[in-house]
Amino acid sequence: MSSIETHAKDAGYWAGQMVAVSCTRDRDSFMRIYDHFAPRVQLYLKGLGSPEAVAEELTQEALLRLWQRAELYDAARSGLSTWLFRIARNLHIDRVRREPQWVPVQDALERLDEPEDAGPSPAESYAEHVDLRNRIEQLPATQARLIRMSYFEAKSHQEIADELGMPLGTVKSCLRRAFLRLQLGVRRGA
Amino acid sequence: MTPRHHLNEATLVSFAAGALSPEMTAVAATHLEACRDCRDRLAHAERIGGLLLGQQQAAELDAAKRGRLRREMLDRLDESTQSRHDGTIQALSPDVSPGDPDGLPQPLRAYFGPTWSALRWRWVAPGVHMIRAAHTSGDTLLLLKIAPGKSMPVHSHQGTELTQILQGAYDDALGHFSPGDAADLDNETEHQPITAPGAPCICVAAMDAPLRFPGWLARKLQPLVGL
Repeated sequence: MSSIETHAKDAGYWAGQMVAVSCTRDRDSFMRIYDHFAPRVQLYLKGLGSPEAVAEELTQEALLRLWQRAELYDAARSGLSTWLFRIARNLHIDRVRREPQWVPVQDALERLDEPEDAGPSPAESYAEHVDLRNRIEQLPATQARLIRMSYFEAKSHQEIADELGMPLGTVKSCLRRAFLRLQLGVRRGA
Repeated sequence: MTPRHHLNEATLVSFAAGALSPEMTAVAATHLEACRDCRDRLAHAERIGGLLLGQQQAAELDAAKRGRLRREMLDRLDESTQSRHDGTIQALSPDVSPGDPDGLPQPLRAYFGPTWSALRWRWVAPGVHMIRAAHTSGDTLLLLKIAPGKSMPVHSHQGTELTQILQGAYDDALGHFSPGDAADLDNETEHQPITAPGAPCICVAAMDAPLRFPGWLARKLQPLVGL
């Protein structure tokens, strides 16, 4: 119970730091974000296959973008870690995998939903965040493994199937079930 | 148009994770542009990514290195504040105005050019025209135009086939597919699309393994189609 409160405070805390960055360009808040998230971003980028030095450089760049584009951050739309995930993923696909279509396609998709629809209030988002976190922790082992291979290693369904000796259809249905489990809480509140 | 056939959740997860090939990404993004429902589910898939990122147990860097990176970061904050709007928004194809009915869906333009009118269709079989994207990463990406009221051969797939309907319509055992709909199929699906009467059915399809047609038709068609 108390751990749920701590998690909720986490997400709210980071969103608050980010608001300070975007409203007053507060460097101390930014460096608190940097100290917490830079090692995590770097680990993520290394997992995707970047050599240490490249992961380090891209991490610096990802955090710099957070600073540069702080005014675009909308706490009601996404948590800070989701925003950073997108930035780091996009940098990796653009710079390391060199897929020039990726970033423009992402930008175009993002602009489609920009008109301010009344999204969930930040408070609701934190409750969802906690709920989602609990659901991730409770995933069955195989589903958790496939989710991690997808997100942390960017493995395709076929690569996962080959590596684990699973039929392709099983990989897909397993990932599908994992997603549906993780979605339940959100749907309930919507 | 509100699509009735959507991306599989497994496809959305992989899209969010950056784990689809560029060709699958192009087709999925074409669907996402047309489908608010899938965009909402994609946002959720990205939230999962954000949570996993935040949950990682980061190993401690040694203090000297950490200090150097921190100082470097602080220096860069000064140098770059004034250039913060640089390059944030790039137009995909400035040559076609948004909303121009001749414009191809944005995610397909890099492969097939910006407009419908400039497409150069190739005849492959009676009632079937095709354009195969060059410069792909290994997966196949096709535009297909099939005459109305035409029955396609029964086929199955060795891998994944992701199709987005752009114009016209077809029916198969899975239902009626019209513009905006996605058919997200794997190797367990065998189907025989029949195009609807009226206009030709145009769709874009990405596949990660060759199609399989049974029997004599395979021998006849596959060399023609070049799959």
